[in-house]
Amino acid sequence: MQPDVTGTTDHNSSTAHVQQTNHPLQRRPGELGFAIFLTLASVFLLYNAYGISGFRALSGAGSVPMATTLVMTITALIVTLRTARLGRIAGETLAKDILPVMVIAFIGLLIVFGLLLKPLGFVLTAALFLICAIKLLSRKGWVYTISIAFLSLVIIWVVFRVVFTVLLPAGILPEAEFIQFFRNLFAGGAS
Amino acid sequence: MDTVLAILTVFTQPQLLLLVALGTFAGIYIGAIPGLSVTMAVSILISFTFSWDVYPAISLMVGIYMGGVYGGSRTAILLNIPGSPSAIATAMDGYPMAQKGQAGQAIGVTTVMSFFGGLIGIVVLALAAPFVSAFALSFQPRDYMLLAILGILLVGSLSSGSLVKGIFAGAFGIAIGAVGRDPLTFAERFTFDLRLMEGGISFIAVMIGMFGVSEALQQLHNVDKRAVRQKIDKIIPSFSTIKTYLPLSLQTSSIGVIIGALPGTGGDIAALMAYDHAKRVTKNPEIPFGQGAMEGLVAPETANNAAVGGAFIPMMTLGIPGDAVTAIMIGALFIHGLNPGPMLMIDQPDMFWFIVGALLTANVFMLIFGLTGIKIFTKIVEMPRSIIIPLILLLSIVGAYAVNNAITDVYWMLGFGIFGYFMRHYGYPLGPVILGIILSRMLDDNWRRAIISEREDLGRFFEGILTSPLSLTLFVAVILIFVSQTPIWRAAKTRLLGKATS
Repeated sequence: MQPDVTGTTDHNSSTAHVQQTNHPLQRRPGELGFAIFLTLASVFLLYNAYGISGFRALSGAGSVPMATTLVMTITALIVTLRTARLGRIAGETLAKDILPVMVIAFIGLLIVFGLLLKPLGFVLTAALFLICAIKLLSRKGWVYTISIAFLSLVIIWVVFRVVFTVLLPAGILPEAEFIQFFRNLFAGGAS
Repeated sequence: MDTVLAILTVFTQPQLLLLVALGTFAGIYIGAIPGLSVTMAVSILISFTFSWDVYPAISLMVGIYMGGVYGGSRTAILLNIPGSPSAIATAMDGYPMAQKGQAGQAIGVTTVMSFFGGLIGIVVLALAAPFVSAFALSFQPRDYMLLAILGILLVGSLSSGSLVKGIFAGAFGIAIGAVGRDPLTFAERFTFDLRLMEGGISFIAVMIGMFGVSEALQQLHNVDKRAVRQKIDKIIPSFSTIKTYLPLSLQTSSIGVIIGALPGTGGDIAALMAYDHAKRVTKNPEIPFGQGAMEGLVAPETANNAAVGGAFIPMMTLGIPGDAVTAIMIGALFIHGLNPGPMLMIDQPDMFWFIVGALLTANVFMLIFGLTGIKIFTKIVEMPRSIIIPLILLLSIVGAYAVNNAITDVYWMLGFGIFGYFMRHYGYPLGPVILGIILSRMLDDNWRRAIISEREDLGRFFEGILTSPLSLTLFVAVILIFVSQTPIWRAAKTRLLGKATS
């Protein structure tokens, strides 16, 4: 299959789904619902933008927000109407093609990551996350999972915490001592 | 003389040279590994390099950008999976060549041609930017406003099937950019009376979410795809091969620079247009297009690398990004206290020439790394996605957190990541969102300046547009984009050209 020369593919999207065919004449499961959601959200934002400075002045703080939310509302409405006219793609379901269990599981993992980051500290949270994620995806043994997770965590931690000196929540681990150790190793290296 | 010295800054400090080399090397891999994109890498990198000096940070990013645009071609040739959108056209003829056992030759020609295209792009950037910025000094606020709108519309209309969805995405981006306290009147905008919204939404968090998290979630659909290994032979192409395709590469490089320089359009569109061009001008290809024609490799690869130099022209001279990556780079310059636009070229010409020098160096490194190390390359690209995806997610979280050391940014990032995931699935382009966020402030400020200088009179505002040749041109361009999407235009085009060409 040759991708369409006019570029029907998403500008920044990758690539693996470049090869999926776009179905311009059919709608995907949930597409209509998403369009309706966008329309309602746009209307709400438009109302909110009106509240900033109303129609008092063309140069007011609210004029560009009002214009953009108006554009959002109109375009979302057009999309909704167009989508509603299309027939659904046969054979695609919301649970299988849009939101499979794996995606939901990962969104869940990410939320848990965010919740635990502060209290538990970066190193432990990241270790837990990597182990769960790699185990889920690779479906290989625990030895493989834990060693890969540990190895990547060490690399990431050294690169970002020590070389890039990014501040990450230390949590319950005595991180400062480790860092001093690595600093001494890298003494004279990157600034 | 000063100019030459500024270009050579990279060579005066080994650290900078090393960073450009490292960036280019990493860029090739990032571009090549499907699922990792340059946009993603640069947006995550901003958050890690913002405490650095500006030169090292820029060196690294320039290297990644240059390497990444090229790197996509490798997987396109070897695996028929374009590593990045700009390599979509490369796969059409590159993969058939690999299937015939000519993978090495394909990679060799691609590398040399990418170098050639990149060089032309940079030369044009160096020659054109000073003029454009001098010209840009005469721009009125309304021209900047129109340019910003034009950029968002262009990326919206060219990068996805649906202009309406593109416009929605652009407007959404502008709205996100407006969140927080208005810098002029201090009025709250879209804050819903929440204190955490007053400072606005960190655009880096949005970027990482949209390009990192949503991409990684998307990749979960293809965890089990396996790579097929190809045999690789002679890589360095002969001089006569290069000479044969030189005329074509000159043409396609020009296409690349021009498309790259248009605000909002980047290497992917340039590559597809160049491929189309090559198909039209090559009357009797030795091997038909789509079955391994060398022209089909040369055209997109020169064009997408030439577009890199091109994309920097509007970014450096007008402060309007040429594509999604330069949009993120503008963000990086903002963070380092620089304000891209015509004044930057006048106040800090060294900065501009340094970037030109860094691009040139990156281009040379790309050639060196491109012609060597293929064996290790095939191994790394085959790294299983079950490891890559968790790592991208982890880096995204670290990146979002690192900017302000705020957990709130992590939540914004996750939120926009999930939202972006749905946008991808339903065909809403993400590029315009980022462009909208970056240009929101410029659009808003210039609109208000323009309308205040016309004493709040819309009639006088339009009169100003119609009487200035520049404003009128921009205005007509904006209108044309809309008209080109209507059924009347399409019918007229079909009648005039017989059959739509592209």
